[in-house]
Amino acid sequence: MFNHVSKEKVLQAKALTWQVDNTTIIDHVDFSILAGETVAIVGPNGAGKTSLLKCLYGEYKDHHSTVLLNGQPLSILSSKQIAQKIAVVSQHAESVFNLTVLDIVRMGLIPHKGLFDVDTKADHIKISQALNKVDLWEKQRQYFNTLSGGEQQRVLIARAIVQSPDLLIMDEPTNHLDIYYQHQILALAKQLKITLILTIHDLNLAAQYCDRIVLLNKGKVLADDSPEKVLKASLLKQVFKLDCHVDIHPFTQTPRVTFDGSQLNLEKPIEKEVEYNANAS
Amino acid sequence: MLMLHKFSIRSIILLLALLVIVTLSLSLGFGVAELGHREVWQCLTATCEKSIYNTILWQIRLPRVLLGFIAGFGLAIAGALMQNVTRNPLADPYLFGIVAGAGLGATLTNFLPPSLQFFTLPLAAFLGALFAVFIVLMVLIKNNWRRTEHLLLAGVAVSFLFSSVTSFILYMGDAFSTNRVIFWLMGSLARADQTALMWIFPVVFIATIVALLLSRQLDSLLLSDESARTLGVSVEKLRIGTLVICAALTAVIVAYCGGIGFVGLMIPHIVRPFVGLTTARILLGAGLVGGCFLVWVDVVARTALDGQEIPIGVITSAMGSVFFLLLMRKM
Repeated sequence: MFNHVSKEKVLQAKALTWQVDNTTIIDHVDFSILAGETVAIVGPNGAGKTSLLKCLYGEYKDHHSTVLLNGQPLSILSSKQIAQKIAVVSQHAESVFNLTVLDIVRMGLIPHKGLFDVDTKADHIKISQALNKVDLWEKQRQYFNTLSGGEQQRVLIARAIVQSPDLLIMDEPTNHLDIYYQHQILALAKQLKITLILTIHDLNLAAQYCDRIVLLNKGKVLADDSPEKVLKASLLKQVFKLDCHVDIHPFTQTPRVTFDGSQLNLEKPIEKEVEYNANAS
Repeated sequence: MLMLHKFSIRSIILLLALLVIVTLSLSLGFGVAELGHREVWQCLTATCEKSIYNTILWQIRLPRVLLGFIAGFGLAIAGALMQNVTRNPLADPYLFGIVAGAGLGATLTNFLPPSLQFFTLPLAAFLGALFAVFIVLMVLIKNNWRRTEHLLLAGVAVSFLFSSVTSFILYMGDAFSTNRVIFWLMGSLARADQTALMWIFPVVFIATIVALLLSRQLDSLLLSDESARTLGVSVEKLRIGTLVICAALTAVIVAYCGGIGFVGLMIPHIVRPFVGLTTARILLGAGLVGGCFLVWVDVVARTALDGQEIPIGVITSAMGSVFFLLLMRKM
């Protein structure tokens, strides 16, 4: 199934480790992604999915291992150079100001502009095309805060399109979206034909839209392979602590996971895992 | 066609240019001396009726109008920049503790021996203001900028600290010098002369140019710090640099004009619905409107009472605080 993928590695990390106050959040993770590939990172809350992403796009810097972007270590690249190659669509906070859709999409130009550069005609064409691609042309002057969750995600995707990166990273793009929008966002991201890393909770969506799934638990990679090979009932039970059944989806022919919560013993205290957040005070 | 905002940049510039021209020319005709609009017009187009008019117009009225415009421009863009980089619509350059710091500096000049007379009131006020800003910034750097609201809280704390020291010194001091400082703190453009313009204009001009060059980066802060970082922007450096620019702007204006509060808070809110909130537009909009605003407030300050000036800071604070309360009610 990888026949449409060329063999060039866009991003590569070896024995990636990230520690906070002597707690290991990411533990010797090997990761690489080939040009054109779509990779989902899955795992329970606190597994380190978001931290792993942040290490991969250089937000978390002082890990001792090296992340290579197109063969060059992230550590020697400026944040501007990284931003020219990697676009991030993350779970965002709402701004107190009324930014318009266009204000935000235009931000995608920032990594490509110097102090004295103004917007050119080509930039305007790029912005127009991005707005059309995510079907928000009519809403370009609406306030971001007044849009639905799915529309907000699409605005951020349009910004990423304008950024024209080699790699798109999305942190839980389907969070808080209804079923239609979940599919819409993922189909849209796939349609961009861009190298894509995303974190996601829904394993069935991951199986439908991704070439590869990385199963993460307690900062370690338990499996990294095609959906058919990663989504095994025994492995999933070990990670998610729920009985499950895996069969083949009749429409998409991809693995389909059904979890069963009826055996759940709520008397037993639930193991507490808190995701590390560097910005929390 | 892409339209960035409801109003095109061209129509905004045209409208604002008109406002500035009307403000600058009309405001020259107001004042205590019998030099009305007709006489001013005559002076500008031909020769003055009396030679005294020439002196009043070019040495008193014009510097004062220009100072009002430039000070209003500077205070308004400092407010707009601070609100954008802290993402806090209630941010105001005065909340840095700048006025309190300047007040303390001004107070201390009363105790200088004659040998240190080069420490004029404006210079001492400027240094006091910078000292207050320095303390606020040190506190914030130490706590790693965890929350931008801390900027406002630290500013308020420093304000109270400096004000209490100033009050104590003034309480113990003699009445004459106390009056001098208190009147200065109330704000006035009466100090308008070439020296004031020579100091304030370059600072406002350079700050505007630097902010315009950085406008794209500054815009990225409007959504969230994290989003700005993923666009390759060095968030901390940019924010602290901008705050230092705002502090310098405000400090130099306060040093010559005293405490003129709330211009930086109020004006950006008034222009935002018309020009949008991206940096380049709000800088031009807030700056030009702020300049005109302060010129007209000064006209009121000069002419409202017979034979006496109202301190300009009293008027802006009265207007500003009512505006502030209305703003809070809507938020």
